[in-house]
Amino acid sequence: MVSLTLDAHQDESRRAQREADRWLIAGTILMGTLVLGPVGLPVFCRGVYLLRRAQQVGLSVRPMMVTLIGYVVILDAAINSIGWGLDVFANHALITRTIFTAWGNLMDGGYFWHYNELWIGGAGAPGEKAWIIVCIVVVFPMRIAAAIGLLQMKRWGHQWTIVTCWFGVISWMGYILNMTMYADVRYAGVALPVIGWWLYNIFYITPFLAIPYLHTVNREIFSD
Amino acid sequence: MNEQDRRRRRALIAFQIFIYGALLAMFLIQLQMLMVKDW
Repeated sequence: MVSLTLDAHQDESRRAQREADRWLIAGTILMGTLVLGPVGLPVFCRGVYLLRRAQQVGLSVRPMMVTLIGYVVILDAAINSIGWGLDVFANHALITRTIFTAWGNLMDGGYFWHYNELWIGGAGAPGEKAWIIVCIVVVFPMRIAAAIGLLQMKRWGHQWTIVTCWFGVISWMGYILNMTMYADVRYAGVALPVIGWWLYNIFYITPFLAIPYLHTVNREIFSD
Repeated sequence: MNEQDRRRRRALIAFQIFIYGALLAMFLIQLQMLMVKDW
């Protein structure tokens, strides 16, 4: 690397970044479909490996923490959009009626009792539909757009990822407060009440995890 | 680290304690409800 000129170093860095991003984007798209998650994970991991190797040989590539936050935000929003999108727009499809009510029967009665009995269909738990719609129509698209800007190392991407991470705080707190208010009704008769739901959903806390990093990172690394 | 950074870090730690505390509180409320009355 020492023998490279500045221009050659920049070209090589850009090439390495693009190569790693190809794997990272393909892996995220595959995992974002939910069902192809096991296929997407190794593809994504190869992208992380390529990025790490480029960093180790001294190329100027995107910091690992920015990369992970950006792609995890996109993945989280995509997975939830697919699941909840099916609940809103395809709630009478056989696959939705089978998988959602089975899952609901296992750990969240909000997706079992009175499923498809509201005029809009899908989950019938009090307040659930409002959170679903505000998340898939407002929160998740904005989070994906912001994360793309963050991955491009743009100043607006950094700022809007911060803003939408705070959206995440509001939506998570609101959602959990809502379900806790009638938890005895919502969990009634399911196989794994309370513990099952928390074990499954604790992994969606990424909005909170990213906030300290985003507020303390040197913002000069993001360009206008 | 200057004074502003120190204050920012303190605020972020307080926020983290608050937000995870709130989540834990909701979990414990649900658990308590479950134990009081078997569903």
